[in-house]
Amino acid sequence: MSAVLARRLLALPAVLFLASVLIFLLPRAAGVDTARAVLRSRLGEAEPDPDVLAAIRLEFGLDASLAEQYLLWLSHAVVGDLGNSFVTRTPVSGLLFPALGVSLVLTAAALVLAAVAGIPAGVWSARRPGGRLDRAVTATSVLGVATPEFVLGTVLVLVFAVVLPLLPATGWGSVAQAVLPVITLAAFPAALAAQLTRAETVDALARPHVVVARSKGIAERAVLWRHGGRLALTSVASLSGLFFGGLLGGAVVVEVVFAVPGLGGLLYDSVVGQDLPVVQSALLVIVAAAGVASIAAEGLQLALDPVSRSAAV
Amino acid sequence: MPGAPSTRRRIGLALACAALGLATACGGAEAGSGVVVPDAQLTIAMQFSPDAGYAVDTDDAFVVSQLGVSESLVASGADGIARPSLATAWTQTDPRTWRFTLRPGVRFQDGTPLNPAAVVKALTWVAGVSAPPRAVKGIGLTAVADGADAVKVSTTAPDPILPLRLSSANTAILAPAAYASNPPRIQDTGTGPMRVTATNGTQSATLARFDGYWGGRPQLAGVTANYVSDPAARALSLRAGDVDIAQELPESAALEFTESNGYVNQTVAAPRTDSLMLNQSAPPFRDVRVRQAITKAIDRTALGEQALAGSAVPASELFGPAVAWGSQEPPPAPDVEGAKALLAQAGFGPQNPLRVDLGTYANRAELPTLATAVQGMLRAVGVEATIQVADYDAKEPDLLAGRYQMYLLSRSYLLDVPDAGATLSSDYSCQGSYNINRYCSPAFDALIAPLGATSDPAARQEIFTRAAARLDADAVGVPLVHTQANGVGSKVTGYTVDPLAKTLVTAGLAKTG
Repeated sequence: MSAVLARRLLALPAVLFLASVLIFLLPRAAGVDTARAVLRSRLGEAEPDPDVLAAIRLEFGLDASLAEQYLLWLSHAVVGDLGNSFVTRTPVSGLLFPALGVSLVLTAAALVLAAVAGIPAGVWSARRPGGRLDRAVTATSVLGVATPEFVLGTVLVLVFAVVLPLLPATGWGSVAQAVLPVITLAAFPAALAAQLTRAETVDALARPHVVVARSKGIAERAVLWRHGGRLALTSVASLSGLFFGGLLGGAVVVEVVFAVPGLGGLLYDSVVGQDLPVVQSALLVIVAAAGVASIAAEGLQLALDPVSRSAAV
Repeated sequence: MPGAPSTRRRIGLALACAALGLATACGGAEAGSGVVVPDAQLTIAMQFSPDAGYAVDTDDAFVVSQLGVSESLVASGADGIARPSLATAWTQTDPRTWRFTLRPGVRFQDGTPLNPAAVVKALTWVAGVSAPPRAVKGIGLTAVADGADAVKVSTTAPDPILPLRLSSANTAILAPAAYASNPPRIQDTGTGPMRVTATNGTQSATLARFDGYWGGRPQLAGVTANYVSDPAARALSLRAGDVDIAQELPESAALEFTESNGYVNQTVAAPRTDSLMLNQSAPPFRDVRVRQAITKAIDRTALGEQALAGSAVPASELFGPAVAWGSQEPPPAPDVEGAKALLAQAGFGPQNPLRVDLGTYANRAELPTLATAVQGMLRAVGVEATIQVADYDAKEPDLLAGRYQMYLLSRSYLLDVPDAGATLSSDYSCQGSYNINRYCSPAFDALIAPLGATSDPAARQEIFTRAAARLDADAVGVPLVHTQANGVGSKVTGYTVDPLAKTLVTAGLAKTG
């Protein structure tokens, strides 16, 4: 198992290098004049004066060739210098890492909540397929998958911040402020986890060795968790690995609804404003985090599933 | 179990409320005593976050100014008249030079005095940045000290509105220590009633009263500014009681905050016009009859009151009710038959319908809605418009080069200074750098030429009025609606919505009980 994970870790730098090339080229291939977008980010109604645009290009080295710009950025990035934001003119690290910290907390908390809520719900509903609990869990999970985050978030604010003034409506920095954004972000993965766990558990409980285990008189709860739940965990672990990278930079809606200063909002604003140093660094960090999360999820899957472990060996 | 029925009722109310719809008002501020609470803390949900790190040479200058941190030499409002601020008086010493006398006894928040050297440093910095703000761009601004209490500010050409330019939030005067970093530091470097004690990226800022403020002791002890980009989230924050003031709420939400349930709700016209630009450098809009037909076809009252549900003021001309010289008149009623007749004269009719592309962008939410409504109105006179919504930055080179037919654009006509001279020159003169309509009229240029030497506000505003009428007569695009600015406060006094977006936190702003 450790050999498999080691191979994945060794491949990560190559993945990051390829990603860096794409990340560097894609914003430039969008056909937007970066100097013009930077000017617009600073001064919303500025006229595109050629002299001003030339000064901006000179200020940020945008008049150099793409290869020169890429090598300059990469050579600085590998030693931890992410450069200065085109818009704020301050170091990218000062913008990126606080936002990354917020998104890591938000994403991790949401995924933990999704697992804690989704897995038991899926396992228990699999105990009696078609039963009352199963129908309730299925209906709730369908609702969770189908409800857009901006609707769920707004309803939660309306209920828990306006009518029952228990929690703040917006902001970030306290546990109370984190509750509603975490619940909103967790709803979709929790619903998926519940559906996936239910399907896997129903399948597992119909297998011959489980029938034998039951015939031996092993307690139903033990059968359910040892044979059904454990198998479902491996699938949910893989799913979490995939979700992690997506939620890290893709929770824009939740960040906007709750005014959370996370990576998604930073990335969105930076893409609109063609703040290339921030875009490049943020995407690279997301790719790296998603890669590590994917490897961690695979490790967890191998640890939980003896069949996968033996196949990997 | 004591309390359980009450909790159930509240949960029931909550669920009923959610089911009734997201915009339903489920709470309200309790009516207060109206008595000022001394040394209170105030929390504001602000519309714009300081995306450029509070740099005063960018639009963030408006955030810094609204927070009551920075001030400029001159103050001004939508009436276009310059008033004393950090300078108490000014005179034009020669056509290219103005002398500003500084207010005595003013200190920056770091304790250093406001003196000519500090003013020269601040103005020299902002004039020299790579992307100068509109107020000082291209005028060759230089500043020198003139004695112990004045500065002389010169421009390369005579500038009759230099005092107004120096009322821009971008020309804020910060303490010399601020300019040791780029962008300048705003912590403890302003002269305003509030000083920044902490900033938390684009999430929030906390401010404390500046006891040495020259304008008197501020009533508030401190302010927390939360930057909340989503209008619905700002409305919910206000309703939840998380904030005392919320800027720019959705029209439907703003209507729920009334004086009867304890709120101060203000809506004012903004100096911004959403206009239909018509490319006059090529057919079909080179023909004034076609432009006039388009103008007659559009029901601007319906656009403001129905399509945008009253959130914008129907426009009768370029300048609206936000400024002293703007039109207060309702727009003319649509004339479908008149439009058809003009189109027929220009060679368009049922057998040869006019087909045009109507471009716009989605950064401002109202524009796609307006485009759809305009498309329907044009169809009624036989014009088939195809809507194209695309990123403005990608489209701008085509617009400036005249590679378009019809474009829906939102544009502020004051360009940071309460004077329309710059807009008239850049957007409508033959040599204008932002002349998207591609309009060129020697008569119009002659009409606005005196602006280069006229400093009297009344005389300038008379020219603005005549220029707007001329543009209307020549059917240079169609001004559709003027946008509005709104804000709601809960238990506050001294709160006003500034249509120029420069003031919010003042020494007189206070919380009430």
